[in-house]
Amino acid sequence: MKFATYGAVAMATAMTAFAPAVVMAQDLVLSIGSRGYGGMVERNIEAFEAANPGTSVEWLKVSDVPGDSRKLYVTGLTAKSPTPDVFAIDVIWAGEFAQRGWLEPLNDYLSEEAIAAYNPSFLSAATVEGKVFAAPLYVDGTHLFYRSDLLEKYGIAVPKTWEEVISASKTVMEGEGNPQLYGFVSMWAKIEGLFMNWLSFINGNGASFFDADGNVAVNSPEAIAATQTMVDMLYEDKIVPDSILTMRPDDARTLFQQGRAVFLMVQDFVHAPLSAEDSPVAGKFDFTRNPYFEGHEDAHSTAMGGWLLAVNANSEHKEEAAKLVEYFTSYEAQLAAAIDENRAPGRTDVYAAPEMAEAALIQKFGENYAVGVVRPSAITGSLYPRVSEVMQTEVTNALHREKTVEEALNDAAAQVNSILGK
Amino acid sequence: MSRTMSLERRTALTGIGFVTPTVLIIALILIYPIIQSVVLSFGQSSIDGSQPYQFVGLKHYATLMGDGRFWNALGVTFTFTALSIPLELGLGIGLALLMNESFKGKGLARLAVLFPWALPTALNTLIWRWMYNSDYGLFNGVALQSGLVDRPINFLGDEVLAMGSMVVVAVWKTSSFMALIILAGLQSIPRDLFEAGRMDGMSKWQEFTQITLPLLKGPILVALIIRSMDALRTFELPFNLTDGGPVNATESLSLYAYKVIFDFLDFNFGAAVVVVQFLVIFAMSLIYVFALRNKD
Repeated sequence: MKFATYGAVAMATAMTAFAPAVVMAQDLVLSIGSRGYGGMVERNIEAFEAANPGTSVEWLKVSDVPGDSRKLYVTGLTAKSPTPDVFAIDVIWAGEFAQRGWLEPLNDYLSEEAIAAYNPSFLSAATVEGKVFAAPLYVDGTHLFYRSDLLEKYGIAVPKTWEEVISASKTVMEGEGNPQLYGFVSMWAKIEGLFMNWLSFINGNGASFFDADGNVAVNSPEAIAATQTMVDMLYEDKIVPDSILTMRPDDARTLFQQGRAVFLMVQDFVHAPLSAEDSPVAGKFDFTRNPYFEGHEDAHSTAMGGWLLAVNANSEHKEEAAKLVEYFTSYEAQLAAAIDENRAPGRTDVYAAPEMAEAALIQKFGENYAVGVVRPSAITGSLYPRVSEVMQTEVTNALHREKTVEEALNDAAAQVNSILGK
Repeated sequence: MSRTMSLERRTALTGIGFVTPTVLIIALILIYPIIQSVVLSFGQSSIDGSQPYQFVGLKHYATLMGDGRFWNALGVTFTFTALSIPLELGLGIGLALLMNESFKGKGLARLAVLFPWALPTALNTLIWRWMYNSDYGLFNGVALQSGLVDRPINFLGDEVLAMGSMVVVAVWKTSSFMALIILAGLQSIPRDLFEAGRMDGMSKWQEFTQITLPLLKGPILVALIIRSMDALRTFELPFNLTDGGPVNATESLSLYAYKVIFDFLDFNFGAAVVVVQFLVIFAMSLIYVFALRNKD
């Protein structure tokens, strides 16, 4: 009964979004959120239409909340809807969508040189059985944002390690004596962002989701120690507010922006609102790579996100759709997006462009993407949502002290193994 | 005698004539999906229909029995229902009695009482979520400034408080619905019963317990049935208020089924969750229907 109700509601939503009244022979529907790729979408569409007379592109503005647009896509794709022809997908969906046969392989449409230029770690997330199913559009990592004015006031160097973040937080909190000021805020609600955060912590301590032999290693001693630090930040060091357990990226960003936190670790998109003219912290903050634990300078602690463009396997205009993907991910378009819109390119050759010297922000973001950690979505494929959900639940159990860290991560390992059939 | 019988029969026939189209439509849009859900729950199929449906018997139900998250969701659903319904009923009766009195501004008061019920649950819930917020919320703002607490209370981040917060929103919203149904019942009680009672020297309390309440049993049971069914399938409230958190402390059965179906895309297992939920609600309705029948 419930099932039917949800189905009906979702289908109705999907149908309104997926079925433009009349689709002309050469009309392409491109689905992408309006915040994610900013003003570049409109510019690219105009340039593409000018270069391809007879083809017009309709921009379907979907939600920028990944979970919402995902539901829309899943319903439409399950029903084999031919639109949208091209859509932006979160890097963690690529493996799953490809496995389900919803995406058109791009190998026949894109040249080998074009494919070779794409960011390899992103390409691997979109490669299933040797075929490329999506092209990287832009990269979005996480960073540690900090209040440069406060650190300067107390003569503290920009922290590199978690130990330094914790002691810096304590110094500033004590010095300011403001009960409304917290040390560290982030997205620790039970959401995908928590899993990203946790991956940053454990990788920063030399642990990883899978070990070198491909076994689930979420309960390794290093992972347990790193997770314990998260718990201690809440209850021992008290540099993190209780409310962090209900914070999503924008909740944490808002606190930081109101000047109520010294450190913030979320995705790079917050840079734009934080530096806006009316932002209380504009000019008073900077960012650095995500911290690691002492002795792990080489750790990959920058949790990576990002978006790719894919062609609907049921599209009636695959050829044109692939051309559109090719245009959006071309050298020129990606360079323009980097310089004018601060979107980190999804292809590596753009970073070497001479014009990029001026795009200091992107350069700085980009440096740390080299120490990026990608979520285990390509390996887990269609099981990824379950794996992520288990990790979110068990890490939350530890953060709420419902279980000890060791119990929580042991339970997580057992559940992930059973989901993956190991 | 035979005349009244035929009149009754005629009335019955007219009634059946009126009801048939509705029953047909309900059968199409309700019975079919229920059957379809049962079929799905006994098999394994791919969501796009590329793989043929395979009958797997009770496999999904067996998994369900060993699934801690399902039992948690069932517990959450029952706890929520058991906590919110009595409060709603008590408050509902109180509000109905108030609205039944004549006083200045009665119309305005009725409107105010109905307002929470008129707003969509999702909207209500978002308003409450802001008020509960531990960093910007109204409640913490007042509590901190008045010195009642020295540290913000994390209403939605604590397992017990989160359930309590959810119950408060439900009671706030749906007491007025209970009140509405009970008010209708109140107004159908003949005035002369109270007059007779007063002549016999009944106190106000005796009037309430011996005249009002017994005559309200029907409307109260109807309100209880509707609200219990609602509470047993509550979805928008936890979805918008807590998303089932912290951990899974407020994850109702509907929310769990939704996650299984739309996040994990496991339609078969999700159908099993939904069928169990259907059985629970069905059993609950049967109990109420029996209760109603005995009272008449």
